[in-house]
Amino acid sequence: MATQDPDCAPGATTAPPAASPYDEMLTAEGGVRAHYAGLHQRIGTLAAAELAERQRTLERYFLLQGITFTVYGGDSSTERIIPTDLLPRIIPAAEWERIEAGLTQRLRALNMFLADIYGAQQILMDGVVPRELVLGAPSYRREMQNLYVPHEAYANVCGSDLIRQPDGAFAVLEDNLRVPSGVSYMLANREASRRTFPGSFRAAGVRAIDRYPDLLLATLKSMAADWRPNPQIVVLTPGVYNSAYYEHAYLARLMGCPLVEGRDLVVHDNMVYMRTTTGLRRIDVIYRRVDDDFIDPLTFRRDSALGSAGLFNAYRAGNVVICNAPGTGVADDKAVYAYVPAIIRYYLGEDAILPNIETYLCREPTQLAHVLGNLDKLVVKAVGASGGYGMLIGPHASRQEREAFAAAIAADPANYIAQPTIQLSTAPCLVDGEIEPRHVDLRPFILSGEKIVVTPGALTRVALKKGSLVVNSSQGGGSKDTWVLESAPSETQP
Amino acid sequence: MMLARVADSLYWIGRYVERAEHLCRLSDVMLNATLDRNEAAGLVSRIVLSAVGDAELHSADDPYQLAMALALDRNDGGSIVSSLSRARENARQVRDQITTETWERLNLVHLRVTGHDAPRAFNDGASAFLHDIIADLHLFKGAADATMSHGEGWRFLLLGVHLERAQLIGRLLEACFGVRRAPDDHMALMSVLRMSCALEPYLRRFTSDVQGRKVLEFLLLDEEFPRSMRFCTARIEEYLGSAARPAEASSHTAPERLAGRLRARLQYADMEEFDGASGLIASVLDDCAALHQSIYDTFVAYSLETRLPA
Repeated sequence: MATQDPDCAPGATTAPPAASPYDEMLTAEGGVRAHYAGLHQRIGTLAAAELAERQRTLERYFLLQGITFTVYGGDSSTERIIPTDLLPRIIPAAEWERIEAGLTQRLRALNMFLADIYGAQQILMDGVVPRELVLGAPSYRREMQNLYVPHEAYANVCGSDLIRQPDGAFAVLEDNLRVPSGVSYMLANREASRRTFPGSFRAAGVRAIDRYPDLLLATLKSMAADWRPNPQIVVLTPGVYNSAYYEHAYLARLMGCPLVEGRDLVVHDNMVYMRTTTGLRRIDVIYRRVDDDFIDPLTFRRDSALGSAGLFNAYRAGNVVICNAPGTGVADDKAVYAYVPAIIRYYLGEDAILPNIETYLCREPTQLAHVLGNLDKLVVKAVGASGGYGMLIGPHASRQEREAFAAAIAADPANYIAQPTIQLSTAPCLVDGEIEPRHVDLRPFILSGEKIVVTPGALTRVALKKGSLVVNSSQGGGSKDTWVLESAPSETQP
Repeated sequence: MMLARVADSLYWIGRYVERAEHLCRLSDVMLNATLDRNEAAGLVSRIVLSAVGDAELHSADDPYQLAMALALDRNDGGSIVSSLSRARENARQVRDQITTETWERLNLVHLRVTGHDAPRAFNDGASAFLHDIIADLHLFKGAADATMSHGEGWRFLLLGVHLERAQLIGRLLEACFGVRRAPDDHMALMSVLRMSCALEPYLRRFTSDVQGRKVLEFLLLDEEFPRSMRFCTARIEEYLGSAARPAEASSHTAPERLAGRLRARLQYADMEEFDGASGLIASVLDDCAALHQSIYDTFVAYSLETRLPA
């Protein structure tokens, strides 16, 4: 418990797991929240058949656009659309202001933390974060030590996962600083909901998010601005078989940058080139959507064919910028996460605006004992895993599952953390023609370059199975559009 | 500026789309011709089998089964569904290079032929099914023409279309006029014109006096008909001529020279000079194959050593 600062996590410690979840649309008394009034009224006027028809139109739009992800199973793989819900989730302006301020603060601190870790390591010397926790993390990259990163912007693109707790306050569940995805779904959901509820959309006054590609490009440009006035920027994808390929192609297309694969790149004399029809052309900035491990077989995994041999040396030589910087994963490590409020205080002298979820580190013996004694109440996560894999949701698990997990934790405590089971908030969703509450989280996207920009929108992920708390698309989750409002919704409906 | 891999994919989209369209027409004409129980029907089936290069694999006994396999057999790399799947797979790889309008058309036709109800749609009306695919592919080409910049990527797409088309027509002519004497059967010749989508343009040029020799001349040497081999080679030369040249290529690239010579041969060929067409057709097909290889060597798989900065 030593890692947790009580005043940083109001609600998290006091809310019992059984507390009924916060509903985005309805108050505990059953009334409709003011910012949902317009949409609620509109839905009420639509027959079930009409809602279902709009849902079909929306799914057809996704299929036609090829907005699909690939499901692997056996020796065949199929393309599916990510399940998408018709009804937008609405966030009023005042709440968003707090989220925006909290995320900006968090990213400032995390980038400073990365610059410090890969530089003087002052925070380790001051004992704020345990040295072995950082330097022993698999995501720590020794190769990044003392390397110049423009603006100290390591995590150029971040997608943090926020949840709303039963008391209505938002908290950060995890940060994704490596190669976060989902922004194309945010944009596609918006495109779809504008068609589905044009009247409500206009009346509500929703903040625009369509400048995201443009802002991303500006962020990437700013990473090369001080040494190449007109940089050649590319998007590096693992290829068409990657589950997020649609997103890679989408961003490349909307930014007007070439979408390259490892096999298109050539490194010569520590310069990176791409093979064009007329010969080689130099590249200055690589927005890579390939994991650290795979970007350069000479530096990282030798069996990787997804990157380009010599790429990291070109980066070290300062001839190319890789975004996000390799090694950013150490700051979203699930164990380091527990220290983020302390990191924010250390660098900025401020309290975290957005609290963490209370986290038990199994590496600490006293906390380990607490975790093993309360497995039926906790969510346990493997430090190195993501995407909803390697996870135990205690209250929903069987006795055997809990026992198997207890053995795994005891065998390798440092690899596990635990958190109380949080009742994610619920939002109205269209399920089999009925409007029912389902659990949701919130993934906003934050860009860090010369400055930090929080896109006024987010991907709301939905656990489509009734009662489920798992929102990952690989585990049966879906998504929906998120309306961030400009101000209070206008009184008059068209 | 265009990635070599992207140029290659666009080129192959063009080839696969053209191949699928041609196969649709072949299947449709064959099914139509074999409704009549006469000798010409057998001849048409044999021409189709020979043109798709599958004389061994399929039997001509049941044209309907053959057409269905040609359309929907995913295990046959040469089928319509395989061609369209590959075209779309390539399009997915260069999704950032083609416009949304163009992509939608290709994705739509792909959904049509790979959908669960595709076999049923074929059985309900093979002709309508094949016609719809052809119409979809025309929309694809129209969308590409109307919405893509007519730059390098578009040129590689059309390079693929026209080189594939020249080879497909060449193989059809070889099957029809190559080994045996030109058939005089009116219905067989009409079928060949339909397979080349050439019936109406031919009739306007030569009237309904359909003769083997004139059909051959029209499909081989006509200047204006978009499926004649001469027309295709002229387009190929045009697209290659405006392609950006590698820095070290001072004058013409190898593909440009090959295309220019091929176009000139067909432009100045004289039907009176050759008795049997098989020699000419075979050599033109050889040139097309060489052109394909040369395009690949020059723009896609070039040796890096010649292109590294000094």
